[in-house]
Amino acid sequence: MTATSQAPAAVELVRVRKEFGSAVGVADVSLKIGQGEFLTLLGPSGCGKSTLLGMIAGFLTPTAGKIVVDGVDITDVEPYRRDIGMVFQSYALFPHMNVFDNIAFGLRMRKLPKAEIAAEVRRAIEMMKLDGFAERRVSQLSGGQQQRVALARAVVIRPKVLLLDEPLSALDKNLRAQMQVELSELHRKTGLTTIFVTHDQGEALSLSDRIVVMNRGEVQQVASPIELYRTPANGFVASFIGEINALPVARYERTGNEAALVLPGVGRLAAPARDSGLIHGSAVRAFLRPEHVRPALPDEAGPNTVSGVVAAHIYQGSHTITRVEVDGLGLIETRVTGADIVSAHPVGAPIALMLDLGEAVLLAAH
Amino acid sequence: MIQRRPFFLTFLAPAVVTAVILAAALFEVLQYSVREFVPGSLNVGGFTLENFTRINRPIYWWVLLDTFYISLLTAIFSLLLSYPVAFALVRAKRDWVRSLLVSLSITPLFTGEIVRTFSWMLMLGSDGFINSLLRKLSLIDLPLLIMYTRLGVVVALVQFSMPVMIILLATAISHVDRDCEKAAANLGASPGAVFWRITLPLTLPGMLSGIVVVFAWTMSAFSTPQLIGGGKVLMISNLVYLQGFSVLNLPFAATLSLIALIAALGSLVLMKALTGRLEKRLAVR
Repeated sequence: MTATSQAPAAVELVRVRKEFGSAVGVADVSLKIGQGEFLTLLGPSGCGKSTLLGMIAGFLTPTAGKIVVDGVDITDVEPYRRDIGMVFQSYALFPHMNVFDNIAFGLRMRKLPKAEIAAEVRRAIEMMKLDGFAERRVSQLSGGQQQRVALARAVVIRPKVLLLDEPLSALDKNLRAQMQVELSELHRKTGLTTIFVTHDQGEALSLSDRIVVMNRGEVQQVASPIELYRTPANGFVASFIGEINALPVARYERTGNEAALVLPGVGRLAAPARDSGLIHGSAVRAFLRPEHVRPALPDEAGPNTVSGVVAAHIYQGSHTITRVEVDGLGLIETRVTGADIVSAHPVGAPIALMLDLGEAVLLAAH
Repeated sequence: MIQRRPFFLTFLAPAVVTAVILAAALFEVLQYSVREFVPGSLNVGGFTLENFTRINRPIYWWVLLDTFYISLLTAIFSLLLSYPVAFALVRAKRDWVRSLLVSLSITPLFTGEIVRTFSWMLMLGSDGFINSLLRKLSLIDLPLLIMYTRLGVVVALVQFSMPVMIILLATAISHVDRDCEKAAANLGASPGAVFWRITLPLTLPGMLSGIVVVFAWTMSAFSTPQLIGGGKVLMISNLVYLQGFSVLNLPFAATLSLIALIAALGSLVLMKALTGRLEKRLAVR
């Protein structure tokens, strides 16, 4: 977890574009990926993340743009000459070979001496905790074991870049959590530059050095997980990463060190006076995480207290998400620890909410 | 069981009726095979095992071996010629190429065996298309003998069996996981290596079942060897026809039919065992 965008780029995408007929799959994406960095391409299905990965692997040819790996332009290099490892969503293990032969395949293609291949494969098997499975057929393995074979097979060739295409999506929840840890460990041990594609923001937040959020073929934001969660660059990122309340469009008023949001039907709400580049009098939209909304204390009546009616409770064990219908603001979610709120404010009962707008993200509304 | 599947017996009825009739016919053949031949009459005489002792002559064994050999050759050449067609059919990028290949490979199924065989006679004869063409080009002086040879029979049988082989292979090729091919390329395999090490082994089950089906089909070929072989190439069906409908020795024809049936079943069992072992070793399934 050391690499940043300042490190020498292992992979550089220069205005990479992919069109399918008249549809744009990837729209002029430029990115620099540092040596040893764990970068995640995150977005909903159809956002172009897999297309981008396909172009880096060489299975798709960009319509325009350039892909540079270790300083060499590989845009027109055939996939089998790229030295880029890839783990497929379906694992794509060779069903007619056993575990050993699957892992050895890439080394055999490189015509390494037999003894060296055996040694490398043994090491990969050991690293991926597959001891004793070398002679097994891949169809006899569990999902997690198949996943590890796929990883071993991609890593053993010592690729310049490791591409992971939604490798965890086929696993059940517990196994996925465990494989996340193993992926993380593998990245630490090998130090491979890794590009990880996922639509799961939880995976992205926990694994990545940096996350590239994509939508409709365009990069929405490139940032570290914490930055992305705290300061999303636009409404799409704000609502795609984690849960968030989008308040209606308001007028932004700023006088000296004080700032306020003026909402029709609600009134003035105190807003953070950070230098956000917002202009006095402009239209803004505030995004507020559920953990920054709480039930107001009985005698509390600050400027940011609003009242509404409980619409639903979603009990989650460690916490409860409560949906409150607030006049003029619509449905607002609050997230509180425990389950006390369920009995204190049953569905249909009135409730006062305290909005911690100091934590809100303000974005200019278009 | 019957309660849970109320239509089970009803649905089974047609199959049972067919099976019973087939069994009765086979029994009749068996019955004929142990009867005496009465020359000049279609009626048969009393019980005898003479028909089976008569089988044990080299000429009949040769016909059986020849049938086996022609069937195997047909199956192998059919496989070799059909694979590229099936591959192109499945992998063609353009829809019209695919449609064209599908119709080209399927339409022969809609023309009868006689029509196709007759076309081959026009192609292969001494004054046929191939010989005329070669002579016009002054490549040969005397016509090539293709009609009435094993080669001619195999050529026609291969063409006859290709539609089925193509369908079987196309199914197998379309089931190959493209991600496996991509993964192989990603690991450094050139397009040739991807084909030999991934695609071909993964389609092996389809290739083997194609060979078995075409082999079994060709074992019972009649009109193609009859017309193109012209009596010079005898397959087992032709021998049965000769004995039953030219010599009118129905008992011996019945015996030959039985032997043909046993030989076909025996070779199928043998092939299944061989292919089963091969598949297991390669662990494709």
